[in-house]
This record gives sequence, C-alpha cells and structure tokens, in this order.
Amino acid sequence: MTTYIIRRILWLIPVILVVGFVTFVLMRNTPGGPWDLDAERRQVDESTRKSLESFYGLDKPLWRQFTAYMIGDFNNKGDFVCGLPCGNFGPSYRQRGVPVQAILFRPPEDKPWYYSRFGYSLRLGILALGIAIFVGIPIGTIAALKQNTWIDYLSLFVATAGISVPNFVIAIFLIIIFASGLKWVSVVPRSWDTLDVWVLPAIVLGFGTLAFTARLMRTSMLDVLRMDYIRTARAKGLSERVVVVVHMIKNALIPVITILGPALAGLVTGSFIIETMFAFPGMGRAYVQAISQRDYSMIMGTTIIYAILVALANLSVDFIYVLVDPRIRLEE
Amino acid sequence: MRKLFVVLGLLVVASMVLAACGASAATPQTIVQTVIVEGTPQVQIVEVTPEPAAEAKPAVLRVNVGTYPDVIDPQKSSYVIEIATLKQIYQGLTELNAKLETVPGAAESWKFNDDATQLVFTLKKGLKYSDGSVLNAKRFEFAFLRNIDPTTGGEYASITDEILNAPEWRAADTSAADYSREEWVKKVGVKASHADGTDCVDYEDVACDTLTLTFSKPAPYFATIAGLWVGYPAKEENIEEGGDLWWNSSKYQIGNGAFILKTVEPFVRQYFVPNPNFAGPGIPTYDLEYSYITDSAVAFEAYKNNEFDVIASVAEDLDAINADPDLTAQHIQYAGSCTIVIKFGIGGEYNGQPSPFQDKKVREAFAYAFDAESWVVDVDGSLSLPTWTWIPPGYPGYDGDYTPYKFDPEKAKAALAASSYGGPEGINALGLKLTFGDTPRNRTRSEWLVANYKKNLGVDIALDPVDTTTFTALTKDPKTFPVLARQGWCADYPDPQNWLSVYWKSDTTFAQRMGYKNEEFDRLVAEADVTVDPAKRMELYKQAQRILLDDAPSAFGYNTINHYLVKPWVKGIQTTPQDAVFPGDMVPWTITIDTSMIP
Repeated sequence: MTTYIIRRILWLIPVILVVGFVTFVLMRNTPGGPWDLDAERRQVDESTRKSLESFYGLDKPLWRQFTAYMIGDFNNKGDFVCGLPCGNFGPSYRQRGVPVQAILFRPPEDKPWYYSRFGYSLRLGILALGIAIFVGIPIGTIAALKQNTWIDYLSLFVATAGISVPNFVIAIFLIIIFASGLKWVSVVPRSWDTLDVWVLPAIVLGFGTLAFTARLMRTSMLDVLRMDYIRTARAKGLSERVVVVVHMIKNALIPVITILGPALAGLVTGSFIIETMFAFPGMGRAYVQAISQRDYSMIMGTTIIYAILVALANLSVDFIYVLVDPRIRLEE
Repeated sequence: MRKLFVVLGLLVVASMVLAACGASAATPQTIVQTVIVEGTPQVQIVEVTPEPAAEAKPAVLRVNVGTYPDVIDPQKSSYVIEIATLKQIYQGLTELNAKLETVPGAAESWKFNDDATQLVFTLKKGLKYSDGSVLNAKRFEFAFLRNIDPTTGGEYASITDEILNAPEWRAADTSAADYSREEWVKKVGVKASHADGTDCVDYEDVACDTLTLTFSKPAPYFATIAGLWVGYPAKEENIEEGGDLWWNSSKYQIGNGAFILKTVEPFVRQYFVPNPNFAGPGIPTYDLEYSYITDSAVAFEAYKNNEFDVIASVAEDLDAINADPDLTAQHIQYAGSCTIVIKFGIGGEYNGQPSPFQDKKVREAFAYAFDAESWVVDVDGSLSLPTWTWIPPGYPGYDGDYTPYKFDPEKAKAALAASSYGGPEGINALGLKLTFGDTPRNRTRSEWLVANYKKNLGVDIALDPVDTTTFTALTKDPKTFPVLARQGWCADYPDPQNWLSVYWKSDTTFAQRMGYKNEEFDRLVAEADVTVDPAKRMELYKQAQRILLDDAPSAFGYNTINHYLVKPWVKGIQTTPQDAVFPGDMVPWTITIDTSMIP
C-alpha cells in the first residue's frame, strides 16, 4: 500500500512536467503577449516593453524561461529564485508581479483560507457535488426501481437535459425564475457569506454531474437487480427495504463512487462559465481572464494546479475503491 | 460504506457552514430600564431583541463595471476600468470639467513660461488626504518620478515623455553597474519646492506647494496631461508597506479624490464613501458601489430587479429596452470618446505585391464605399454615430464640416476604376482579407463589412478571424499589419495633439505599423504641438486634420457613444464623452440619489 502511494505520488512529477511543457509550448506559440491587449488605446512603448520583459525574464531564451518556471533561475540581481518545487508559480504579468500562488491561495485581509480564490472554488465544487450525490443517487435509484414508469421517464428527461443543456443556459433560466421572478435570491450577490447565494451557482454547476450520477446509478441498479444474490436475499425472506438498501444500493454505488473523485476535480476546476455568470470570486474566472490576457505565469500555474487536483482525485478514487470493494487490492 | 456517506455528508454540511459563516442575526441585548410601579420608579434589567428599524433607503449609486481591474495603481494602470476606479480615489493637479476643459484640481493655478518649456503648478492651500494627512507638492513629484522610473514599468509611462530626460531615464539599463536612480532624479525635469524655490523637506512640509515640470520641447497641452491618472499622488510609504498587492487594499489606497475606497472584495465589488477632505468643487452626497458582472444578460436582469442603478446597455438588450417604455426612458445615450475606422494596411506587401492601399484611388474607393449610416443602424443598433472625420464631436478640434469621403457608391466605383487596378476584378485577384478579433459581435460586424464592400464596390473580401489578443499583436508589427481591419482610437485626454500627433504622425508607432506617412501633415502637427498661442495652434491642427482626411488612410467610420441604463432616482448627471463606467463619472459630485423614489 505504502509503496503504491509513493509510486503514484512520484508519478505526479512527470505528469506535471509534461502538462507544464505542453501548456508552455501552446501558450508561447499563440500570437500576442501580456501587453498586447487594447488596440484602441496607447500601446506600451518599446523601452517600457523591454523593461517589463527584462523584469519578468521574458527576454531570456524560451528553454530558460521554461526551466526557470519549473525549477528556478537567477534573477537580474544574481539571486536564485526557486520555481515550482518551492511552490512558486511565478509572478502574474497582468497583476504586475503579484505571485500567482498569492492570487489563488491568499485570502483577503482578515479572512480565513477558504476565502481565497481556491477556497471559493473548492467550496462551490463540494456543494455542487453534494447536490449531485444527494439528488442524483435517489433519482437513479427510484428510476431503476420504477423502470419503464413515468417516474423513470421523468428521471431520464432530467438526466438528458442535465447532460445536453449548456450550463450557461440553465444559469440564466434559473436567474430569471428565482431571482427576477420569484425574488427568492438576488441576481447579484452582495456577499458570499450566506448560503442562499450559493444555491443557484451550485445547482447549475452540479446539474451535469447530477444527471450523470442519476444515469449511472440507474444503470448500475438495473444490473444489480438481476444478480443472483438479490434473488437469494429475497428468497431468504428479507424485507424489500433491506434488500434495496443493504444489498442493492450498496453494490450499485461502486461505479458511482469511482466517478466522485474526478467529478469533484471537474467541478472545482470546471466552473469557468458559472463563475463568470455569477460573478463568483473563484479560480475559474481568473483562469479564463488569464488566457485572454496572455498572463503566462497565471496560465501555467492554474493549469498545473488543475492537473495536480485531477491526479490527486484519481488517486483518491483508487483508495475509495478498495474501501467499498473488497475484491480490489492496491498491489501489483 | 456508512462511513463514506458520513464523510460525504460532513463535507457538504461543512461547505454549507463555511459558505454561510459570517451571516449575522439580531442578537439579544441586555438593557437597564426604569419603570414606574405603583408610582415608584424601579430599575429593572431586561433582555430584549431589538426590532429592526424601518429601513431607510441608503443613498448608494450601484454601478456594474464589468471586468475587474488587473491593477489599480496610478503609475501602472492603463485600462478604462482601472482608471475609472483611480479617478474616484484620487485627484490630479488638474481635471476636466463637464465641457472637457482643463480646470484646477489639486493645483490652484498653473503657468507656462513663454515658450511652454516649463510649467509651474501652485497647489491649493491646506490639501489633505482622506485620512487627514498632509498632501503637498512632494507627493506629486513622487508620482511623476515613479511614472518615469523604468523599474515601475507603467504601461502609460510614455505619456509624460515631454518631461526633460524622461524618455532617456525610461530607456536606461537599470541592471548596469553605473545606474543610479538618484542621478536620474536630479536630471529629470520634475521638481517640488516652496513658492520661493527652496527645497521641500518631506511629505509633511505644508509650505511645499510648488511643482515645476521642465520639458525637452514646448508642450502647451501638458496641463491636461498633468491631471491624468499617472500623476495621481499615491503614498510612497503605503506602496512600500503594502507590497505587491498594496493597490487592492482599502488600507493602502489612501487618496485625495471625491471618494474613499472603503472595502474591496476582489472580483466581487468595491465600495466607496464620500471623502470629506476632497478639495474639488463639491463632495458627493452618496456612497458608490462598483460590481463586476461580466455577463451582460445577468447584469440586465439585475438592473431590472433594481439591484443596479446603472449598467452599460448592450446591443443584445435593445429589443427589450425599446419594448418597455420605462426602460426606454431610462436609456441615455451620448457621444463617446472613440473613433473607429476601417483601417488600410498601406505599408509593406500583400501576397508578395505592394499593398493595394498604396494607391490613393483605392483608398478613396474604399472610403467612399463605406456606408456609415447603415452600419450604425444595422450593426450597432444605433449605439454609435456615423462619422466622416477623425476627432469626434465634443472634443477640441472636431471639424464636422469637412467630410471629403461621405458615402457615395458611384464615386467609389469611379475611384476604383481610375486606380491602377482598373476596377474590382483587379482587386479581387489579390484575394483581400478582413482580419478581426473573433468575437460574436466582431463576426457580425465583419460579415456586414464584407457584404457592404461587395454591394457598393463589387470587391470580394474574405473573413480572417483570429483570437482577439492575436489580432492586437498582428496590428503591432508592420510586417503582419492586416491589409484591412477595423480599428480605432479612444482619447487619452481632450486635445487634438492626442488625436493627430500621437496617432498619425509618421514617427509614431501607430502610423509606422500601418505604413502611413504624409510630410505636410507631419510638418503641420509638429508646428502645432509647440505653438503656444491656442488659436493658432488649433488652426494648425485643423489644417492637418483636413490633409489627413483628404489622404484617406482609412475609411473614417463611426464614433462610439456612451449608452447606459440609469434608474430615475439618479439625478443631476452631467455627462462627458470621457465618461468611462457610469454617466457623469468625470464630475460625480453633481449626482444625487433621490432615495424617496427607490422602491
């Protein structure tokens, strides 16, 4: 087990290197740079551009810029600046020298860590996942138990809609209904300190995962329904409630659980549009803005953090799998 | 399995608690009260929960700004939304009034020497920052020096290049062994002093009220530049103490403007309160709240839901606005600060041949063929104004009477026939492309343009969509400058020098990139730039602009307009073309909020 964990964690290093390299190559081969933005305003003049490029090390060869980011390099004063291994994701070019890790992980003054951009996205992701699990699993279960009834068809409709309708469409519909129409919540949150303002973005973000979870649970339940051990359980005279809860759902949950890790990673990292629509102060919004602004360090840093999150989520699934399925061992 | 559910459940509950933490509720209070019991006063201690008072509507102007600023640092900011924040927190030496005239700001007066190579500002008496600390000329000296200092790397640093030795210092190699900031500070033409010319002591020196700017060439327009954000007096000690994020903190953003930045929630909102120490014409009577909703559909819903008092209207909302009499009444539109043109890549080669726009007749043909009035209606939903000149209405130097290439398809076809290409066939053989930053709006605009030139000139133009930042990058290199592109200019400050010399003079980067050069135009603007007599100066710019228009380096297309939805309880707005995020934001002290009208 320990060897397995160490090996999987060590695998993160080449993963990060490859992700970093691909991102770097794509990013630097895209025309434009951090100072090529508003064509209708005064442009950065050559001496300022040179000064900025020297400050950020953009005047160095590309290979050295890459190694400076991934390992470290000497700055203009001759001091060694440690890179990624020291948790340094580099300075943002658009936010003028502010370290990327500070932008993503530093909370505002006098606030706890979960008020950082990462903290906001994590909280929203967990809430969305909670909604997906606690709504999606019952829907899938009931749909399977009531197969080919109107309940099944309704759940199928919800699941199909959840997967096929873009979340920005769902978002604006919910805003119009619950904020403009019913006035249960405000369109523009004045503060993210109360639960009500989290509900809509979490529902919209979690809707796709909810639909997928419901579909998966339904399919899995239908498989389990036909198993010999279910017939045996019923033959033993167990009540239907015990058969369903203890024998069916428990076993049907295994494939659902395997998707939870990647689902959480996907929800935390995949909330770009939701964050933009709801003016949510998370990581996704900063990421989208960084790409359009060619904020190289910010793009690299956020991509690598997302890669680490996805890798760790997959690792966690392996452990959860062992916990729920005694047939599986984390060994060669 | 049960444990797993428990863990998952706890995670969700924890997230809810974390999400909700900070919510406050009315708390019971212990009070001491005196009551009369059978004629005898008695003291009782009771616990009560206060009833919420009848809610008085606060006077707050709630504005949706859109994108959150990258950096709110006077000497580093360059974007409209960044400047819009700074100008509420700070006041420069001069400022613009509602007529876009340069009027006293923190400076009481200013005086040029005879040849406009030196400008002396005298500050108002008793200036203070919002925290009550002294604001003297040394603060402004620091601001200008910091703007020029190459280690600052401000994107608008070049705007003060008229100052003696400013461009030289900016280009200095700061890593060189012999580089000395102190030496450059001595050489550069920025100096704070007492009225008698003696040196100022420090930032507490209240008699330090004179700032002298010395230029490398006459700069009669510089009093206007001196009022721009690059000269805003951010506190040196706050910048140092606050570190890399000083500008994102209400603790360190201490200014002298009409408002005080009270709270900052990055990406969510900024909240401002009136600054009682503001030395401007009036102190606002309301608080100001900037929100950052980038999705225009969401912002529109919030406006309709009375959650915003001001939003920028967009073309997609026009049908809904026009269908609703209330919204129509709340929709205000007025001239903006930009001129957008269909720009011709004149210099360089196109597909291995000289650019077709080197032929003036081709330029004339494309200028005549652009139907600006239809564009405004069809593409912009009347959210722009057609123009056939360069400097927009409302700005000094506007010359609406001279429009040599008003839309005329017959003249367009005749000009193309008279060109070296002989007609549309010759142009079509080149395979012209219209390059644009690929957004839905730009795609609509570009498709319309292609159809316009096909209809009015018979030429075929292919669409060439690229990423928006890529588009800007392409326009920055003469070798990659598109042969045909929609581009424009928005005023930094209201002076013809900013429109003509900065953009079209052949030694500027803009003219060089597109390959435009006219020696007579260059001569006239060069002379105007150093002419002290205002009337003569304006006449020279007028002549220069007419030469520019005759030359047709672009099809001068349309002016932007400012268009906002404004709630009826927002009164006293004095609009200017320079308004950036809400109408009247150049002179916000004229605005009042009639709270009795708020539902």
